[in-house]
Amino acid sequence: MSTPESSEAADRARRLQRVAELLAEAVTPQEVLDSILTEGVRAAEARAGAIGVLSADGASVELLAQRGYDTSAMAGWTMFPLEADVPMSEVIRTGEPVFLASVQERNERYPALADQGQESNALVVVPLAVEGRVFGAMSLSFDRDVFFEPERREMKLTLARQAAQALARSRLYAAEQDLRRRMTFLAEASEVLASSLDYNFTLTQVAQLSVPGLADWCAIDMVGPTGEIERLAVAHEDPEKVRWAYELQDRYPPDPDAPTGVPQVLRTGEPEFFPELPQELLDEAIGDDEELRRIVDELGLKSTICVPLIARGRTLGALTLIAAETHPPYTQADLEQALELARRAAVAVDNARLYREAERGADAARALGYVGDGVVLLDIAGHVLHWNPAAASITNVSEEDAVGRLVSEVVPAWDALTSHVPLVPPGGAASPVTVPIVLGDRERWVSVSGVDFGDGTVYALQDVTEEHALEKTRADFVATASHELRTPLAAVYGAVRTLRRDDVELSEADRSQFLEMIESEATRLAKIVDQILLAGQLDADAVELDVTECDLEQVAAGVIESAAVHVPESISLGLSVDGAAPIRCDENKLRQVLVNLVDNAVKYSPEGGRVELRVRSVNGSCQIEVADEGLGIPPDEHERIFEKFYRLDPQQTQGVGGSGLGLYICRELVERMNGRLHVESEPGKGSRFTVELPLRR
Amino acid sequence: MLVVDDERSIRLLCRVNLIASGMDVLEASNGREGLELARRERPDLVLLDVMMPEVDGWTVARELAADEETREIPIVFLTARADPADRRLGEQLGGVGYVVKPFDPVTIGEFVENVLVRIERGEREQLKRGITSDPER
Repeated sequence: MSTPESSEAADRARRLQRVAELLAEAVTPQEVLDSILTEGVRAAEARAGAIGVLSADGASVELLAQRGYDTSAMAGWTMFPLEADVPMSEVIRTGEPVFLASVQERNERYPALADQGQESNALVVVPLAVEGRVFGAMSLSFDRDVFFEPERREMKLTLARQAAQALARSRLYAAEQDLRRRMTFLAEASEVLASSLDYNFTLTQVAQLSVPGLADWCAIDMVGPTGEIERLAVAHEDPEKVRWAYELQDRYPPDPDAPTGVPQVLRTGEPEFFPELPQELLDEAIGDDEELRRIVDELGLKSTICVPLIARGRTLGALTLIAAETHPPYTQADLEQALELARRAAVAVDNARLYREAERGADAARALGYVGDGVVLLDIAGHVLHWNPAAASITNVSEEDAVGRLVSEVVPAWDALTSHVPLVPPGGAASPVTVPIVLGDRERWVSVSGVDFGDGTVYALQDVTEEHALEKTRADFVATASHELRTPLAAVYGAVRTLRRDDVELSEADRSQFLEMIESEATRLAKIVDQILLAGQLDADAVELDVTECDLEQVAAGVIESAAVHVPESISLGLSVDGAAPIRCDENKLRQVLVNLVDNAVKYSPEGGRVELRVRSVNGSCQIEVADEGLGIPPDEHERIFEKFYRLDPQQTQGVGGSGLGLYICRELVERMNGRLHVESEPGKGSRFTVELPLRR
Repeated sequence: MLVVDDERSIRLLCRVNLIASGMDVLEASNGREGLELARRERPDLVLLDVMMPEVDGWTVARELAADEETREIPIVFLTARADPADRRLGEQLGGVGYVVKPFDPVTIGEFVENVLVRIERGEREQLKRGITSDPER
């Protein structure tokens, strides 16, 4: 038979057992608190209960939850100093429980509480400790005075041990969950950041990822190219609010000198953390603007974190997290998470920028690869940093052999090449200088301009060898044309001056010769002028052909006949015709071509030489050859002699002059008649010019 | 007097006008013939064209200057080449006169005579320098 005492003890054990079972099922701190403050308080036969824990900084006691107390009376007890002379603070400080049988006893021991809760009765405050470390306390208030005999005390202490174990376990679980959540978020954010090199896009994604888990509002601001603050992203669950935020930003642009917020973080590179946004700070920012005050009040800002995005010592931007309508105020853990997120974002931005710069550099190098001008980039000491293919072609030095070496070693003539080149600052008008450069056994003319950009020099090289040669050819042409015009002019002028001499009696034969001279030299002058004009017409494509059926034999005979009139006696002319078929062409133009070829052949013939004109039909075309036994033409000149103004070296022609237009005109005319003109020749063995024209079909 | 020019008309002009000035005139229609005549006949002066087939006037002047027998024969270039560089070459090759075509053949006899008188007076060097400093002739 059980005694009342044993029955009471069994009852206490059952109640404790019930609490233990409930606590075992509770997972989250809230579930644990709920179980303790309902079943635990009931098991202890108490009227009310509360649980407080040591704050993170160890200086305060934070009231986690209470049940049964008057809410208004507890309003001032959500957080109180650890040093306070109140039971819960003392229990946490000392680790020793406090059992107070009545309110009188409480008031005597804690005079500070003398004016509070006089309707209270007995009070128990027991420590919550795990592995000897006190992290909080549980208070139990009773609706009567109670003398706590040892068994009762032990029961309260047991309850506290159960509660402490469960609470510590659930807090550990919550912390683990929180850490897992934070790690998951960081992993997701990292994945987003790594997903693209478009950091505008990825940062916007990260901002969106941050709400609502990490913040009610998330904003990302970047430092622009000229130091200005550029808002890159704003995120909120409500898109309407995002639009509103941008409008607000336009209406109230950030003051770059503001002592708080994004400008301050960008300036200092230091994070700014307000677990609880001070009202005075808001008031200061709002000033007298009632509209702004209304907006800020509506936003309900509670807590903010603003962290810098720093990479390689440079502040690239700032990430702002705001807890407002739903998110709890930020903690140190939140700040650490924000710092880590900002660090990862900054690295991603920096990498993207570096990649973009590298890509731009690669693009530029690729573009320079296709540029026809040589581009040479030197550092301040003269080492080659870039040497594009055109530079390699002009200098005959490959990129591999040039880059990294001193340019004066790469091209020994470099200093001579660039010594006359004026260096202009970036953006200045370059003044190219054309200079000859001897590389190995070849001479090139190069137009060089240079830009000094402070850290080095960039030179642009243009190979103008051909242009220079053309210019020289033109200058030569002027000299040649002048010679060609002066000689007949001298004859005409001289003949007139001589005929008009009254101090000399000229014979009839001399007089007649002078008159003939005037006639023939005037004709020659006219012919040269015609050539110059015709070349101009050919250039302008203004030559008209009068195509008719043409008797080639007759044309050839006419050419030889008229040549015979003025050819030197020592040179013989011949004509052979082997089955000339009729062709259609401009007869006058063809005659002009043949006369020119025969004249040339005569001009370059040695004494006793023979000039032959041969006509024959071969494979659907008609060939007219003009062959001589003259000086001949070197093989590498066979094509160039048909270029406008081109003349063989006087050393090769032994002084025979010409306008440099005759063969150019001949080829142009023949080609306009759908034919072709070419030459076969060897120096010293004469030349054979062949006109090929299609036979009439 | 030896006139070397591949242009028949120029030779004729020189011949008629030099004879009118009382001079004997030899003619050559190219450089090689000019060299042969100069070596054989030792003329008092050579009127020498520059641009001629086979052997040009520069070569003739160079070869005459290289030969002790003909070194002293005065050369007056008679050419259409009016470039200062050509005048300098004419001076370097020992020319004592440089006449640019077109020229007045009526005064050529007087010009040649004046050159000969000045050479007689020992002014050969001045005449040479005159080629580049007196571009009118």
